[in-house]
Amino acid sequence: MSKGRLFAALLAAATVALVVIGTVWPVPSAVAYAGGASLLRSSSTPEEAVANLGDEIRMQAWGKAYASLANKAQFTQPEFVHDLTGYYSSLRTYATVENFEVRPLHASADEAEIELKLHWSTVVGASVSTRDLHVIRNGDRWEPEWPIAKEPIVPPQVIPVNYLRWDVIYRGPGDDWGAQDVEAPHVRIVDMHPVERADGVVILGELLNEDVVPAYVSVSATLLSKSQSPIATEGSFDKISHLLLPKQVTPFLIKFPNVALSEVGSIRMTPLSALIAASADPVIEIENEQLHPAPGASLTGQLINQSGQIVNVAHVLGTFYDKTGQVVWVADEYIDRALLPQNPVPFEIHIPEDLARNVSSQRTVIATYSSGGAQ
Amino acid sequence: MVVVVVHLPLLLMKLPLKSYDTNFHIFFASHYVSHWFDPWNPKWYAGFSQTTYPPLPQQWVALVSRILGLDMAYMAVQLAAIMLLVVGVYRFSLLWVSPRAASIAALASVFLGSESFLVYSAGQLGTTSAAPIYLNALPFLFEWVRHGKWQSFLKASVLFTAAAAAHHATLLFGSIFFAVPVLALALLDRQDGERISTPAFVGRTVTIAVVVGVAIAVVLLPFWIALIHYPVTQTPIPHPSRANYILSPQWGLNYFIVPYGALILALPFIFLRGSMAVRLRPLLLGFWVAFLVGLGGTTPVGHLLLGRAFDVLTMERFSYWATLLALPFVGLLAAELVDRYRMWAVVGLTTVAALSCALAVGWATYRPTDAEDFKVDSVATWLNRDGHDQYRYLTLGFGNKISRLAMMTDASSVDGEWNSGRMLPELTRYGAGALTSSKYFGEPGLDALRAMLKHADHYGLKWVFVRDHYYDALLSFAGWRQVDSLEDKTITVWGKDGVPPAMPVNAPQIPPHWQGLMWGILPFGSSILAILVILIPEKRRHERRADQHFATDENLKQGRLVS
Repeated sequence: MSKGRLFAALLAAATVALVVIGTVWPVPSAVAYAGGASLLRSSSTPEEAVANLGDEIRMQAWGKAYASLANKAQFTQPEFVHDLTGYYSSLRTYATVENFEVRPLHASADEAEIELKLHWSTVVGASVSTRDLHVIRNGDRWEPEWPIAKEPIVPPQVIPVNYLRWDVIYRGPGDDWGAQDVEAPHVRIVDMHPVERADGVVILGELLNEDVVPAYVSVSATLLSKSQSPIATEGSFDKISHLLLPKQVTPFLIKFPNVALSEVGSIRMTPLSALIAASADPVIEIENEQLHPAPGASLTGQLINQSGQIVNVAHVLGTFYDKTGQVVWVADEYIDRALLPQNPVPFEIHIPEDLARNVSSQRTVIATYSSGGAQ
Repeated sequence: MVVVVVHLPLLLMKLPLKSYDTNFHIFFASHYVSHWFDPWNPKWYAGFSQTTYPPLPQQWVALVSRILGLDMAYMAVQLAAIMLLVVGVYRFSLLWVSPRAASIAALASVFLGSESFLVYSAGQLGTTSAAPIYLNALPFLFEWVRHGKWQSFLKASVLFTAAAAAHHATLLFGSIFFAVPVLALALLDRQDGERISTPAFVGRTVTIAVVVGVAIAVVLLPFWIALIHYPVTQTPIPHPSRANYILSPQWGLNYFIVPYGALILALPFIFLRGSMAVRLRPLLLGFWVAFLVGLGGTTPVGHLLLGRAFDVLTMERFSYWATLLALPFVGLLAAELVDRYRMWAVVGLTTVAALSCALAVGWATYRPTDAEDFKVDSVATWLNRDGHDQYRYLTLGFGNKISRLAMMTDASSVDGEWNSGRMLPELTRYGAGALTSSKYFGEPGLDALRAMLKHADHYGLKWVFVRDHYYDALLSFAGWRQVDSLEDKTITVWGKDGVPPAMPVNAPQIPPHWQGLMWGILPFGSSILAILVILIPEKRRHERRADQHFATDENLKQGRLVS
């Protein structure tokens, strides 16, 4: 073989070798686009089988995910997909699985129990769902069984709606929302105090609508140094219920990352309110509320949609008080399933362990969003 | 003529407007139209400096737009770049292969899949403008290093500088993939005809490298200052050109099959002929490295060679450069096929070339960057009336229409499409691209969006235009309320109460006036100078053809070029 042909053969061989290396041990960016490691992973163990399922769900390869299930004869692929993404429009409908964890719970020669924890990325933040999967051996492969949870069917019924409703008459089509030539509803901060946490200063409090009309509200805070120069300004963002009906109270929480409480001389609070059209409907009832002490301190309960319309997203805000009635902490959870009429949906709000021992009572506020109109 | 027949109708149809980046370049150009000497653009990212991107093609678009309007000016500049590529490929190929093969290579460049892909799908005006200038500079580099002609030195230096003013990355990587093979060729040829000593070779190489380096440093000084003061340290943004094209075949189709087209069939010939002809080996090696890097995550080469830059750069430009380096081989192959098979070869080659071009052009339609085309005029009108433009705005679900909107409105946005130019920490921290497409970046994209919405008051961000109701729940819970709807209710306008009017931010990054003057004069001036020096008549070197070996089939058979 001439030197030239040898050189060509070497280059060609090196190219093939580099492609093989890049495929067998792909670089991180390639792994991300290929849908994780499942392309190169067999299902020879229960963990691998569930990890492959997790990868397929992450890539939304619903056909492959469904085909890998041992109990697929018990439900259809659309039912499987709806079980993951929701039967009705909700946070989960457009969420993507960012990553997942696989944890073996129990294993024998032919079957195993594996926990699959899916970390969803939703428009309002991260959401976690956990499923315990029964995995069975089929020859030299393992196949997971999906614990399908079918959405209950609400029977046809008529629900009378007689809740209060407030409309606002604006000046005309040229009037922008917010540019109102009327007095703003009277609101008042009824409690506020700063707390130092590991990641910075947090301001907790409650806001009351003292007026007889509904109010759109928000709160911002400016930390001032001891020399009264501003350190930082932040708003309550979604850690508040922005719609307050007359005499309603909302908690608020404002975070100031990377600020030490010792630097703060004073705090300037700026509550904001504006007139807003509103309705007391939908009413969300809270049932079976329970405060669980540490370890794993949390507030659990069930939400029941008392109205006749579907609530696509519900936001649960919990205010926790000590024995003196002072706010100790504010925590929240978004419900990633749609709330169907009369259909209970559980919630669980976690409380920081170090604060849990001070909590003696709580109050829960629900904010809702229905597609086609925010409430 | 072929360029005009193939590309002029497509450009007259404004096909590039569908691409990823065309509107971005037109947006930059629109700023130069009214602010030629002020590179600070307040319309994106609450203000950013256009000195973060070499300005030459955009300034030409701005200039030509005085006659043709912005869109057609873009098309005219793009057409000029394609025409210049034909000349550049011919002149570059002539260094390696016979004039006949070089002519065919130049003809092939008109149908090159990667060129059409970059023009009609990617909209990379910078890359497709800089490469032809660079290719035209390389023969002068060869002439200078090989024969010491000062006229060639001048022309090469000016053209290299103009190429850098068009696109910095092309010059940086072009030096490795294009210039090093040409220098190696000069070294290989040093004993033929007019001999050159090794010290002379080194001296000439260093001289031109230093002079071009200094020229580029001066011409793009505001760019370097911006880069040094505000280096691109933001979290890398994922790009599918870094995928493994075997594990992700859909991206293999997009970034390998479409750009290479029928060139894939020529790969065995490129490897074989490039290896057998000693003179072609530098070109082969340049092609090979560019080819491997252009494969993105299919091989570890890009990751190893580029380091962190692998996660910042997109890889399709490397495939583009690889295909340009392959063209001399293609010319050689085509010439030999025509010699052997005559009309059959002509028909076959024409067919595969047309198919390659058609696939790449059609790809913009089959895989459009935006699923839907829609007008943003009503949004711009809304922003421009009743003092709405006192506040900043954000769009969600607008794709690359945000450039078009930014051109039409006086209002400032906190979003934008030039990721390397953004300085707002809410945007640089999370590893996501434009906020308008947040959901496609998963958790990092939504984190960036939430961070920006949290600081709405700080930026005077009052308006959010939504064309994707995915985001409605977030806006609702975060305190925005729908205030209007546009375009038959397909676009909703959300507002937040209590937001103060927008104030200037990013003030330290505003380039001083002298930098604006430099930016307005030197890059554009370098292109004018390039045109002038190219017009200096060349003294033909008749002996050149005599002492030059071409890697033809006959030469190989006679063993003259076989090592």
